Amino acid sequence: MILRVKFNKKNYLKYIGHLDLLRLFQRTFNRAEIPVKYSEGFNPHPKFSIANPLSLGIESEEEYMDIDLVEKINTEDFIKRMNHILPKDIQILDAIYPDDEKSISAKLSWALYEIRFDIEKDLSLDEVKSILENWLNSGEIMISRLRKKGKRKVMKEEDIRPLIQMIQVKEKADNEVTIESVMRVGDGGNLRPFDFVDALGNNIELGMDVDSASLIRKALYIENGERLDKPI
Amino acid sequence: MINKKKLDKILNKVEKPARYIGMEQNSVIKDLNNVKVKFAFCFPDVYEVGMSHLGLHILYNLINNEKDYACERVFSPWVDMEELMRKENIPLYTLENKEEVKNFDFLGFTLQYEMSYTNILNVLDLSGIPFLSKDRTDEDPLIIAGGPCAYNPEPIADMIDIIVLGEGEEVTLELLDKYKEYKENGWDKETFLRDIASIKGIYIPKFYQIKYKEDGTIDEMIPLVDEAPRVIEKRMVRDLDTMYSPETMIVPYIETIHDRVVLEIFRGCTHGCRFCQAGMLYRPIREKSTSRLMELAEKLVQSTGYEDVSLSSLSTCDYSQLQLLVSSLMGEFGDRNVGVSLPSLRLDSFSIDILKEIEKVRKSGLTFAPEAGSQRLRDVINKGVNEEDLVNAVTYAFNEGWSRIKLYFMIGLPTETDEDVLGIKELSYLVKDLFFDRPKEERRGNFSVTASASCFVPKPFTPFQWVKQESIDEFRRKAYLVKDNIRDNKVTFNYHDAELSYVEAIFARGDRKLSKVLINAWEKGARFDGWSEHFSFDLWLEAFEDMGIDGEFYALRQRNMDEVFPWDFIDIGVSKKYLYKEYQKAIAGELTNDCRLKCTGCGIQDCAMRGVFN
Repeated sequence: MILRVKFNKKNYLKYIGHLDLLRLFQRTFNRAEIPVKYSEGFNPHPKFSIANPLSLGIESEEEYMDIDLVEKINTEDFIKRMNHILPKDIQILDAIYPDDEKSISAKLSWALYEIRFDIEKDLSLDEVKSILENWLNSGEIMISRLRKKGKRKVMKEEDIRPLIQMIQVKEKADNEVTIESVMRVGDGGNLRPFDFVDALGNNIELGMDVDSASLIRKALYIENGERLDKPI
Repeated sequence: MINKKKLDKILNKVEKPARYIGMEQNSVIKDLNNVKVKFAFCFPDVYEVGMSHLGLHILYNLINNEKDYACERVFSPWVDMEELMRKENIPLYTLENKEEVKNFDFLGFTLQYEMSYTNILNVLDLSGIPFLSKDRTDEDPLIIAGGPCAYNPEPIADMIDIIVLGEGEEVTLELLDKYKEYKENGWDKETFLRDIASIKGIYIPKFYQIKYKEDGTIDEMIPLVDEAPRVIEKRMVRDLDTMYSPETMIVPYIETIHDRVVLEIFRGCTHGCRFCQAGMLYRPIREKSTSRLMELAEKLVQSTGYEDVSLSSLSTCDYSQLQLLVSSLMGEFGDRNVGVSLPSLRLDSFSIDILKEIEKVRKSGLTFAPEAGSQRLRDVINKGVNEEDLVNAVTYAFNEGWSRIKLYFMIGLPTETDEDVLGIKELSYLVKDLFFDRPKEERRGNFSVTASASCFVPKPFTPFQWVKQESIDEFRRKAYLVKDNIRDNKVTFNYHDAELSYVEAIFARGDRKLSKVLINAWEKGARFDGWSEHFSFDLWLEAFEDMGIDGEFYALRQRNMDEVFPWDFIDIGVSKKYLYKEYQKAIAGELTNDCRLKCTGCGIQDCAMRGVFN
């Protein structure tokens, strides 16, 4: 019995890594007496998985996980019991029993991020917009990243442009710019948001202070033809 | 409160930022404006180490249980964090309210090992608090310290205002109550310190002057005020069942060294191993009852969600009701996916039935501590185990499916010969033979034996407090003697850094003259000296040289019977006479029995032990 759960991760708790988050949920299931299925074998562990792990240092408004339950439980009761124990900056927002068998990880293919950063140059909102538009329309956006090649790690050039669906400039207050961007996640291509930030930092016209960037994942989507749908 | 935006900026750049954010489950965040006493508790090492310390969980909950008091945590920032904090001008802050440490009433340090002393200085510096008591004003927090190293507090006596000797469950609240009283009725630091100087277990270093002899040893320790007693008795809680015990623990987000429920089952130890400081300091033995432990275990498991309960004590198998306790725990938690683990097993009391009971636990490695390679030397240190005990224990472990064995030893023990040292190799090979002599079809797992040797450091309040430490060259020669004689890829030999043990030995038995060396070493950049990657021996040698202090005087000098030690003003209950008698017996290779069998006359008053045992 799969229970699909939506939760958030805010403020300082963005500094909790993926494995630590798994342990937090595991202990919370224990305390809240959630009937989670355990794996067989020598070292049994609870069966649940978080879709598309968030990078350390990024907040999120909507994360998802699938929990394998021994028996069906009331979802409202589940949310109440979990939230009572979970820290206030990680809370369950919703829970459903999905109709299909496909795991949540396999379904997700796009993520919406909000990115705030400082710029060093004195640019108007319109100037920022046109810089970003030109950046997206300039063809390739190359980054270099370490890739495993057998046992060795080698630097590899990579074009991330196909992984960016859109960028929207939301706001500019003093020298702080807020943008939103939809990027690829999952097996069909994955753009790490910090790679995006680094790439944007290479744009000389923008003059971005890369260290000042703060990121929030606002949503994760399933691609449904032309439409992007939220899982819950 | 510190600037959170600045903090956020640096947290993005450091390794394991969760070390610095607090917010864990069961942490307590009070409104600091609404409490009367603010206590910052510092474990002067990195978060993961400090959070594994049971004493922290006890004192944290003890203090926070009181409505008027708040206890918040501080750890040593790792070097990357320190660098950024200094660069961005962020003062050291507590994890709970992100409040500057210097705005607290108390800053308390737990002294777990000597090599953390430079971290204490670093914490003070990052907090903007002067190092020396005499340089601090009424505006600065009172610096208070306790823990095992407080039993020779003299190397840091100039930096600490109040030292607590012994168990903190009772005296901590007595102290805070007194402080609150003073704060409400007119604060004067000097009067307050004088007042508390007469509380049992409290030592105020600045009320004493040390007179030295020409040869550098101590002539006399002179109290400077009437309230300061000549002898200070340690604090000890009589009844562990009625004593405050935490019913919850903070659950860290990141993995720590001991990430589990820690259930303290008793205090003290009756074996009388002659190298062991804890065995002397924490006498007499006192147990918690099984019913109380079951009650605490239930509450701790419920409030933490941990899946492992670890029984904690100096020698777990000595608990008089261990069989009952373990089967009760397994009965209660077995179906709830909660396991039980037993650290600190001794070879002699290795109980087959009990290990069978907890068979559910993973059969990873088993650790035994013969401490010395030969029977002769084990008799010298009064480690009452023999080769037969090891053979029995290891054979049993192999039968039950364990395949990786770790053996702990010390080198440089008093009277040690090369033959004793080579005994480390002999025992390791014996363990290997026990595995491979078994029929092939009964061998399970991938066998390995790891022998680790630490360098013996003579500690205060042990029968070996008079002996000189082995020289660094001799430690090395002996380590290589073992290493060069082991030629088997199933047998691994590790040894500890002799240079680090030498510096540790200096501070373990040091006096007040060492405080300037500490400050000098810190100025030269010493931090995290207990971490071999940060320890720099050359730096320490320079610091000793620059301050005109001879380290060998403290580490390598054999003491006379009648020498006055820097820690002699502390009464731990065990008499110096008894310790000396034990020392003489050690040299003669004579054993002293476990005092549960027959009182050995250590000097502990109205010892409750005989009532509990037999």
